[in-house]
Amino acid sequence: MSKISRRDLLQYIGAGGIGAVGGVLYGKSVQRNVEFLIPQVIPPEDYSPGVASWYNTVCNQCSAGCGISVRIREGKATKIEGNPVHPVSQGRLCARGQAGLNVLYNPDRVRAPMQNAAQRGSGNYTEISWDEVLTTIASRIGRLRIDGNAGRVRLLTGRVRGHLDELFAQFMELLGSDHYQQYDFTYPAAIRAANRISFGVEQMPYYDIKHADYLLSFGADYLGTWLSPVHHSLAYGHLRQGRPGQRGKTVQIEPRMSLSGAAADEWIAAQPGTEGLLALGIAHALVNEGFYLGSDRDEWSNALQAYSPSRVSAETDVSEASIIRLAREFGESKSSLAIAGGATAAGTNAVASVVAVNALNYLAGNLGQRGGVIFNSAPAFSATAGSRQAGLQGMLELVEAMEAGDVEVLLVHDANPVYALPKNVRFRQAMENVPLVVALSSFLDETTAMADFILPTSTYLESWGDDVPDPGVGFPLASISQPVVATLYDTLPVGDIVLSLARQIGGELPIRMHWRTTEAFIKERWREEYAQRTAEQDEQDEQDEQDFEAFWQAALEAGVWGRPGDAAGEQAAPSSSSMIASIADPVSEFAGTENDYPFVLHPFLTATFLDGRGANLPWLQELPDPMTSVVYGSWAELNPVTADELGISEGDLLDIESTAGSVRVPALIFPAIRPGVVAMPIGQGHTGYGRYAKDRGVNPIHIVATLLDDQSGDLAWAATRVKIVRTGKRLRIIKTDGVSRTLGRQILGPKNDHS
Amino acid sequence: MSTIVEKFRQYTKPGYYDKFDYHWTMTIDLDRCTGCEACVVACQAENNLPIVGEERFAQSREIKWIRIERYWEGEYPNIKMGFIPMLCQHCDDAPCETACPVYATYHNQDGLNTQIYNRCIGTRTCAVYCPYEVRFFNWFTYTWDEPLEQQLNPDVTVREKGVMEKCTFCIQRIRIAKDNAKDDGRRRVRDGEVVPACVQSCPTEALVFGNSNDPEAKVSKMMNNPRGYKVLEELNTTPSIVYLTKVHS
Repeated sequence: MSKISRRDLLQYIGAGGIGAVGGVLYGKSVQRNVEFLIPQVIPPEDYSPGVASWYNTVCNQCSAGCGISVRIREGKATKIEGNPVHPVSQGRLCARGQAGLNVLYNPDRVRAPMQNAAQRGSGNYTEISWDEVLTTIASRIGRLRIDGNAGRVRLLTGRVRGHLDELFAQFMELLGSDHYQQYDFTYPAAIRAANRISFGVEQMPYYDIKHADYLLSFGADYLGTWLSPVHHSLAYGHLRQGRPGQRGKTVQIEPRMSLSGAAADEWIAAQPGTEGLLALGIAHALVNEGFYLGSDRDEWSNALQAYSPSRVSAETDVSEASIIRLAREFGESKSSLAIAGGATAAGTNAVASVVAVNALNYLAGNLGQRGGVIFNSAPAFSATAGSRQAGLQGMLELVEAMEAGDVEVLLVHDANPVYALPKNVRFRQAMENVPLVVALSSFLDETTAMADFILPTSTYLESWGDDVPDPGVGFPLASISQPVVATLYDTLPVGDIVLSLARQIGGELPIRMHWRTTEAFIKERWREEYAQRTAEQDEQDEQDEQDFEAFWQAALEAGVWGRPGDAAGEQAAPSSSSMIASIADPVSEFAGTENDYPFVLHPFLTATFLDGRGANLPWLQELPDPMTSVVYGSWAELNPVTADELGISEGDLLDIESTAGSVRVPALIFPAIRPGVVAMPIGQGHTGYGRYAKDRGVNPIHIVATLLDDQSGDLAWAATRVKIVRTGKRLRIIKTDGVSRTLGRQILGPKNDHS
Repeated sequence: MSTIVEKFRQYTKPGYYDKFDYHWTMTIDLDRCTGCEACVVACQAENNLPIVGEERFAQSREIKWIRIERYWEGEYPNIKMGFIPMLCQHCDDAPCETACPVYATYHNQDGLNTQIYNRCIGTRTCAVYCPYEVRFFNWFTYTWDEPLEQQLNPDVTVREKGVMEKCTFCIQRIRIAKDNAKDDGRRRVRDGEVVPACVQSCPTEALVFGNSNDPEAKVSKMMNNPRGYKVLEELNTTPSIVYLTKVHS
């Protein structure tokens, strides 16, 4: 973060003005097992019956880091809306974020510490006290530490950011183990790796969709699942209708129409795995048509020589005229923007494909421009959290270590690799080799079900924390999360669990990690950040405690700290030569031969369940899928022509077989998918994870072949071929839609009759 | 004598509230709408819609006051998807109102089509008459798996078996805004003070809500957009929701 004066700090956060910290006080009285003889004789300070108070915190339903406001009535959370002063969500919120209440009040939460009572994975648990469980685990880890075997302790988390990540890192470091990893299926590893090559800095820049005139998206479902959907949706609304007389155009390139494809003016289903090649074809045309006039024009021209539109057209199945037209539109637009994600960034060629898309932005002069790619400065804190992402490579190493007996204790928090990795990785089987598995989790998901001990964590609505949104919004920003209700059950925030373990393990740990609670830890870190920022302002070097307290209160109220307009992106150094050097044939390889496995499997993230984490929330199970209106189940999408050739109709149960395995799922005829592609939603197919998720549908990740994108080490989940075997059985797909055509009724308006 | 006749005419004319009250109106810009369904969950949370379960969905007995309808146009590869949020249109000439034998559904002075749960005897006639299919009957008394009931909004009634229910334009929020205006010593609610849950949540700002009696209100300006149209206008239901068509470039 650059220099910010104290006055500026308050300038931004002062805009909040909703809520205070008192919410937790009243909440205490709704905690179970607490009874008041004469309730509310002295009411808590913010409690007045019938009046709602709003508290600001951070959403944890995906990794966008939207600021949220939670409505508290009589100590209960009754609604979640976007935090109006938070620059990411700006008062808006997606379906998943709003369903956060289902996380808090989920009937299937783990309500007390549990000990495995029978065979692993049987789900047979008995209750155990916090004291006993923490002592047991701490003594096991402590013994390893004393014996110098601390390296046999491993910590695996989901995408933990902010100071909580620092807490985990410090714990493992003091323990003497360098095995702290994160695994998140949705982590954009390939995009980050490509950005390191193209821009010299491994970060997610701010894609300024809001001010773009022309958006070219290669597989990125930016309105549904990609990076920061709420923020992108706000930007999309502006792109379309926010500027009088000027309507931005969007083009979507993907084999199966996503939400963003439906919104686009033009939807192009290129041959799967060749999207990067298409980008190079467009780049070739851009240079050839004279839209790029840089001094290294000849170098680009040489490097792109092999990617003439005619050659690219043959491989991508996009007409030569279309490629040239796209290049012209892209080059002629005042602010054009190209983005890549989804399946484009999940082939064996992922990094090369994203580099090709980055090159488009470079050639069209979109870098650092309004309506283009704006670089973020280094995050305010915890800049290294991203580097802990294991990817498939890291997970394979972990599995190898577990199988070799090198892992004595495995701590898992907020990650579900048993579900979100291909079955071939054999994570579940490898876990059986680990003598002690401890899950720090709120729910009994597939990975947690393999644990010897479950330490129930409080949900994000009951815990302290902070966050730096990734991607940032173009200026330095940090959010703070606070408990908005009292803890419902006998659970602890994950930070408190780590601190308790540190206290009991001994050695340096209790001295260096002396905080009693996560709150104390977070507050101390913010005090340091604050002191550091204000000390840079020479005239105000003597800041005192009072100043910080005022700042802290204001930050809590607003839920966010930052100031628009602060300089960003000093470190990015777009490198033309590096991009030219990395231009390679970006065509994905596929597992399985075309003869044996004639179809390409296209697993897609859904806006409801994302990578499966939303499947235990009843509101999301009952939310019709945006493109198909299916509820409560899985399906396999086929083009009507493909289905006709195979004699398949809706509801026919199919075995979808890959080299890695097979799933049984009903067919759905979907008109907006490329023939020869089978698309399946990710998210269902849980064998545990509570009553709403269990035994419903199938998980396509399990039949994905374990191919790597070799440059980023991440799972190439869009690079699997499959075959379709009809079972002769049928299963009704539950949909809410009736007739899918307007039949001349002018429902979509007189000028846009879809008949 | 003539004045009585005039008065009668004036009071029986649909939209008689033009002069002295609010006329709550919504505009939905389909060029902004992406079909993300944030509004659907927002409504479920705000209005205590039940979790009906898989079996009831299979019987088409789901309850969603607002839903996204999907319409395909063309065939692969030149295929387009059109989304349209569908909710009670709060028609000025509502077919459902004339049908109710017990006046459980009626038009209030704010232009809202309201449903009185205590009066409803469950004939379901109104749902048959509604061309938009936005009325939902409670065939069962739905319950919430403990402790999900704690998230219920205390400002909104939880409905029981045997009554019809539908979108209210979040009448509880309108009431609160009117109350606040009164407490502030104002006679009128300011533009933007009433925001139904769906409008509040919309990530693309496709939905706009306000009082169309106020020519300065944002919604009044949106209504005059040349892209504006009303769904099934030819049935003369005079809906209070104006849609703006998607632009096809």
